[in-house]
Amino acid sequence: MTLPETAGIALLTLRVALTATLIAGVPALALGYALARFRFPGKPLVQTVVALPMVLPPVAIGLALLECLSRRSPFGRACEALFGQTLLLTWWAAALASAVVAFPLITRAAEQAFAAVPLRLEHVARTLGCSGPGVFRRISLPLAARGLLYGTLFGFARALGEFGATSMVAGRIPGETETLALAIYGRIEMFREGEAWMLAGVSLLLALAPTAAAEIFLRRGER
Amino acid sequence: MITFDLRAEYPGFRLEAAASWASPATALFGASGSGKTTILEALAGLRPEVNGRFEAGGIRLDEMEVHDREIGWVPQDASLFPHLTTRGNIEFAGRSNASEAAIDALELRPLLDRRATELSGGERQRVAVARALAAGPRLLLLDEPLAAVDRPMRARILPYLARIPAELGIPMLVVTHDPHEVHALASHVIVLDRGRVAAQGHPRDILASPAALGVLEALGAENLFEVKVLARAGGVLSLGTAKGSQLEMAAVAGFPEPSRVAVRAEDIMLMSSEPGLVSAQNVIPAEVAAIETLGEHMYVRLVAGEERWVAKVTARAVEKLELVAGKRAWMLVKAHAIHAFDAAGA
Repeated sequence: MTLPETAGIALLTLRVALTATLIAGVPALALGYALARFRFPGKPLVQTVVALPMVLPPVAIGLALLECLSRRSPFGRACEALFGQTLLLTWWAAALASAVVAFPLITRAAEQAFAAVPLRLEHVARTLGCSGPGVFRRISLPLAARGLLYGTLFGFARALGEFGATSMVAGRIPGETETLALAIYGRIEMFREGEAWMLAGVSLLLALAPTAAAEIFLRRGER
Repeated sequence: MITFDLRAEYPGFRLEAAASWASPATALFGASGSGKTTILEALAGLRPEVNGRFEAGGIRLDEMEVHDREIGWVPQDASLFPHLTTRGNIEFAGRSNASEAAIDALELRPLLDRRATELSGGERQRVAVARALAAGPRLLLLDEPLAAVDRPMRARILPYLARIPAELGIPMLVVTHDPHEVHALASHVIVLDRGRVAAQGHPRDILASPAALGVLEALGAENLFEVKVLARAGGVLSLGTAKGSQLEMAAVAGFPEPSRVAVRAEDIMLMSSEPGLVSAQNVIPAEVAAIETLGEHMYVRLVAGEERWVAKVTARAVEKLELVAGKRAWMLVKAHAIHAFDAAGA
């Protein structure tokens, strides 16, 4: 396995995981805030559904995604009309699969981070003339930032290593959908154990780097 | 003129309170559980379950959103924004002349660059007040501003609070259950008793009236004295009151020396003639000033030297001792019946 080949796999994995984090991140933060701050009918049901991807086998999630992305579903047909083909067996499918799996992790972390912001501080901000969006931007968001960052990183790390759901909808096409996790599995299948170990090492580096960066960033913020 | 008429129903508690006042410095006085904090939060707009009217200067504030009311609210725990500095907290509502005036009034200039998490309890309280003032409120609400502050610090913060209405021209409503704070901060007091306004008026008149007795009784502070420790001997502290009387109090090991003591009205025994030897350490000659009936009990107001006292006795005792205004009586108070009184409760 050449260096460009390894770098290609690593870059594709990063692209998939980053895209997945972006797709899952924004709605997960919004839902986390809503769960932490608002009472609404059906809230327990929403919480249960959100937790589902955490408890279901990833392969089962992949199966459901396969159905959604295929020509048989309206979403699949819409994608086909838009892009000329369904998203199946593209890196977008890998990113979507990773996003679904990362979503509950980010949502749960966001819910806990927002719930930990004392309501009284938001009340004080309102008496000081801040309206709802201002309170969110100036009080809730900065005070929850640490938890949100950890949650997002956790989701990113989960997306980096996603295997089960991804292999169902994206296959393992070298250069197109073969992420690190898929490539490690593929090398083992081909009895190229040394290469598998090297790719595992690359995975470790990719997972460690953002965690370390966050740690340094948060430490600096504390001072 | 500020007016409120509020109502709310809670399990086991009904709030039905109306008051109006024009004084720039007003105290909302009551025992814990009387509804003081609920009223304050309702005025700030943070209690949607409380119904009723609230007007200031002819403007209906109860119909406004919280962020439009321009009410400065300082909760008991200061609630500073922990991610901001002192300056960041004070200028939260916007950089303005009001911020600078508030910083000067509360003498916060040396603390401006400190993070909120690095401030002491007293400093936090001052910053919270300055933050509320800097928004240029039409009314400042202070919820037990000295409750979270230790005693020496209280004496230092009190003057800052007292000069706000005159110096900055912002009227304030202070929640407290400390008669001393009422006198120090307010020229008008609203006495709150179990969710209702029991009386309101000048503190000098109101705190000595039967209406305030219920609250003072709940606090165990019907008789409250500023004291200095004169001597300590044989487990007894000799205390001199601010007005020159002397009291003997049982010393409690490990507790700091009291600066204020309270005696419950029901802990005072009255005699019609001077007693011989008694175990009570305080035998105080006094003159009956007035006798008030409240429910089944009688409250005998007495004057001893410069100090005013109130004793709670039965109607039968008043009859037996033939107590009437102007008659001489002796008060017996055990050394153990004198308690150190703290602003945070007796």
